[in-house]
Formats: sequence, C-alpha cells, structure tokens
Amino acid sequence: MTLLVTQQMTGCSRPAKSPPVVEIEHAISPQPARVGAATVTLKLADATGKPIIGAHIAVEADMSHAGMSPLCAEAKEAEPGRYQAHLHFQMAGDWVILLHVTLPDGKKLERQIHVRGVRPGVQPN
Amino acid sequence: MNPSSIPALDTPESLPFDLMRVPGLGQLFRWRYARPLLQAPLLVLSLVMIGHGLFGPTLAPKNLATTLSWLHFRGVLVLVLLCAGNFFCLACPFMLVRQAARRFLRPRFTWPRPLRNKWLSVGLFVLILFTYELFDLWSSPWWTAWLIVAYFLTVLIVDGFFKHASFCKFVCPIGQFNFVASTLSPFEVKVREQDVCTRCHTKDCIRGRREPVSDLVTIRGCELALFLPSKVGNMDCTFCLDCVHACPHDNIGILSRLPASELIVDPIRSGIGYFSRRKDLAALAIVFTFGALLNAFGMVSPVYAVETWLGKMLHVSHEAPVLGLIFTFFLIVEPLLLLGLAAWLTRVWARSPRALLPLAVRYTYGLVPLGFGMWLAHYCFHFLTGLYTLIPVTQNAIASLGRPFLGEPRWTLTGLPANVVQVIEIGFLVLGFAGSLVVTYSLAEDDSPDKPLRAFLPWAAVCLVLWCASLWLMFQPMEMRAMLMSG
Repeated sequence: MTLLVTQQMTGCSRPAKSPPVVEIEHAISPQPARVGAATVTLKLADATGKPIIGAHIAVEADMSHAGMSPLCAEAKEAEPGRYQAHLHFQMAGDWVILLHVTLPDGKKLERQIHVRGVRPGVQPN
Repeated sequence: MNPSSIPALDTPESLPFDLMRVPGLGQLFRWRYARPLLQAPLLVLSLVMIGHGLFGPTLAPKNLATTLSWLHFRGVLVLVLLCAGNFFCLACPFMLVRQAARRFLRPRFTWPRPLRNKWLSVGLFVLILFTYELFDLWSSPWWTAWLIVAYFLTVLIVDGFFKHASFCKFVCPIGQFNFVASTLSPFEVKVREQDVCTRCHTKDCIRGRREPVSDLVTIRGCELALFLPSKVGNMDCTFCLDCVHACPHDNIGILSRLPASELIVDPIRSGIGYFSRRKDLAALAIVFTFGALLNAFGMVSPVYAVETWLGKMLHVSHEAPVLGLIFTFFLIVEPLLLLGLAAWLTRVWARSPRALLPLAVRYTYGLVPLGFGMWLAHYCFHFLTGLYTLIPVTQNAIASLGRPFLGEPRWTLTGLPANVVQVIEIGFLVLGFAGSLVVTYSLAEDDSPDKPLRAFLPWAAVCLVLWCASLWLMFQPMEMRAMLMSG
C-alpha cells in the first residue's frame, strides 16, 4: 500500500507567506501489516520533485482506541530523501502513524498515515 | 419465596451496615444539596469532554472525550456498582441540567401509559451497542462528544415535557444498565424499620414533603414511583436520596445486603410489580447478559472473519446489514434457543407447573451475574491497562491551551500490565459464573422443591455455555479495528 500525501503547510498565522509544498510518499512493510516488527519508509520531496535531504522525522504510532501507549521512533535517512523508521506493532487493529517532520530550514509539519487492520501476528512453526 | 426468606439481615445479630451511619458520609448524604454537589464536578467534566471531543485532537488516545468515556468512566462505573451501588445515577450530570431547566420549563404531561415499561429503553440500549460498533465510537472523539450532547438534549426534551423522572425510568440506556447491574450491588436504599413506616401516615417518601397549608411540595418524594416500605432491591432506584430527605422519621438508610439476593425472590415490588411477570425486564436482562458477550466479541479477531464471510455470503459490502445480522443472532436467536431449550427441559424434567415463557422469564434473571462478570472483565481490561493514560492526555490538553503547567505529556504512562489484568478478568468471570449458579439453583429450589437439581441442570448448562464463551473471548487476541469490512 502506497499512499501519496500532498498537503499545503500553512504558515504560523502568516497567510501572506507562500507555504512550502512537501510531498511525502510512504510504504509500510510487511504487507499486510501484522503484529510485530514493521518498517516505515518515507520519501520526502519538494514541489519540483527534488528529494529533501537532512530532514528530521519523529515517527509516532497510536492505536485508534484510547488507553494504549504510543510507539515512538526516529526515521533515519537511508539515502538522499528516503527515510526509514522501525516500529513494533503490539496489537492487531487500526493504527495511526503521526509524522512530526522538521525540514532542513527549520520549518515543521505533521502528517497522519492511517494503517487500517494490522493483523494478528503469525505464530512461528 | 417472599421477602422474609431473604437471608435474615435485619435480625439483631446481623444488623445491616448502614452507609448513612458513617460519620461524615451520613451527614453529607442527608444534606439537601448533596446530589448537586456530586453532580457539579461530573457536569464540568462532561463539558470539558464535549469541548475536547469537538475541538481537541482527532486521535482517540489523545482526546479526553474518548479516554474518559471509553476507559475511565466505564471502568469506574462497573467497579462502583460492584463494590457499592448505583452511585453514578446519584451523581448523574444530566439530571443537574434537567433540574436547572425545570426552573423554567414545567413539564405538563405524564409519560404515556403504553410506554411505561422497559421496551423503549431496551431498544435504545441495543441501539447504543449497535452504533458503538457501526460508527466505532471508541475511536472518534467527535462522535463521542456528540453522543454526550445528544444525551443532554434528550434528557431536556423528555423531562421537559414529561413529569417525574420519565427519562431515568423509561428511556436512559445507561440507567437501565445501572439498574440491572445494581441488583448485584452490596448496598440498597431501604427503610430501616418497617414498623416506623406502618405508623407513618404522610408517606412523604413517595408524595414528597409538603407545606401544611398550601400543600406545595418542598422536598420531592421518589420520582421513580418506588414506595420505600414496599421497595425491594435496586431495580429502578437511582440512589437520588430524595426519599432520604423527604422521610420525616429519618428511617431510610443505604443498607448492606447480600448481592443478587433480590434476583432470587419474587415478591411484588413497588413501582415494578413481579419480576416473573415482566417480559420487558427479562428482555433487558437478556440484552445486558448477551450484550456483554457481543460487545466483547466486537473487539476480537474472529469477528472480522465472521463479518467478511457474512459479507461474501450476502454479497454486501456495507457493514450495517452484516452487523445487524450478528446482533440479531446474538441478542435474539441465541437467547431464544438457549433459554427456550432450558425452559423446555426444566418443564419436562422437573415437571415445573409454570408455562414455558414465564419459566424462561423467571430464570433469565439468573444470568445477570454472568453478564455483569463479563462487563466487569471487559471494562476493567480497558480501564486498568489504560489507567494512567488520563495523565498525559490531560497534560496534552492543558499544554494545547498554551500553559503547560502540568509539564510535557508523558505518553509512556499507560496502566497495569495485561497479564496482571487478565488474572483480574478471570476472577470477575469466575465470580459471575458462581453468582449465576447460586441464583439459578435458588430459583430452582423455589420453583421445584421436590426436584431442584432437575430444574437447575438445564440452566447450569446455559451458564456453563455462556461462561465458556466468555473465557474464550477473553483469550482471543484483541483487535481494535474500525474498518470491519475491509477483509
């Protein structure tokens, strides 16, 4: 499952400024997502499609139900503009991954990725 | 069996414990404004939940509306019902708003006679369970907030038009849940000495205390039509303490009793009649018991396989009809089969003189402890495993106002380990199973004194089936999903 998320970031109460456009492409493996280890791969690009290098991405995964502890991880830049974070889904169900992105110029943006129906883990034979 | 055969709690050597005699607590409960005092904090909390639900974070684990509603409120509610009584209805914030509104809106109508039963509230109870699954209320702060708003509006409309506590007695689904669960509570609002009531001529506990000349009510009597001298048990009692305040003889207490003892007896009850003749009450007990299993079933992995299979069989992709079928099976077909078969076997084996339906109605109340055990296990799982999450959610809510005086949210705070909570869950299930066995055996003894075992066995088998189903559900991997039909 790959979803292209494109959203305009609004400036901090300065609507006159033109907001930067950041494209975030994400992929989660394994597919379908299961309880256990999972890798979130993120590709950041600007409006022209140029990879964004040197961004800081904090990844937070929450369940859709209250009462669960969120999972936190840092996404490391594996290659220019391509970032990877490792999570460990603890329970089957719906998850929401929050991306707290700090761009190289210090600007911040947030994105949500809905991961529906994480399945129960596979028992090893 | 009549009320006098309830274990002798009022003999001198086993005087019931009276919460009203506890220093401090007694004075508080006797104070006329005790109820508003308890309601006010819950009203403030409700308003905070509505505000945060509508304007706060959209993620359920970060929102006070969802965290407080689906974790803390439900958990605290069932534990208070188990350990004390129906104290949530006492502190109900909806009634505080209603009371304030009644200063301006005088209700003119009496509740329609055809609706003076539990059928409407049974339907609403099922509707709440259904919408909970269909709209995934647990994952939506926005819907949760609107549910609370809808509750306030419904209270205002119903009690704005209709006199007395029509909403509590005939409409409120939470209230019905509390009424059924509180039949297992260890405390009951009850007269201390029947002799005092026999000598009383004013009957203020039901009529209200009145001014001698104008006959205006100055202190309300019971709005739920429970006449204290002939009130038996907690059914329909909101613990509002109006009777306590109205009684001129200080003869009403909150007395200890044997939990579930009111399910064993079948006297005529004030404001209710005979349990054994109330099909609507039995239906409520069925929804309470089987709904407990259904509500838990909605959160474990097998439900998705069932839904996908049903969807394919019926060639439907929308969740509502599939969910409707599951609800029909669990709340109508399964109870009909199990209870019908058990009632038939009881008739045949024990030669019970009762007809099939009255027999089924009578024994249905015996399943209530099992149902309560399941509600306890389910709600306490969420409550205890997410016990401390209220702290970071509150920290986050305050920080979002720009004044993080409680510090940065500590999202790592969750609750008790799941393996510890699982032991507690099993304890609740065992307690519920044992309670149901005791109640059904007592009913069997009363119904068929010659062959109690023959009358008991079919119901014990029903209890065993439901208990095994509960245990199985508890050991299923939990799966908190919203998109049920996604395969």
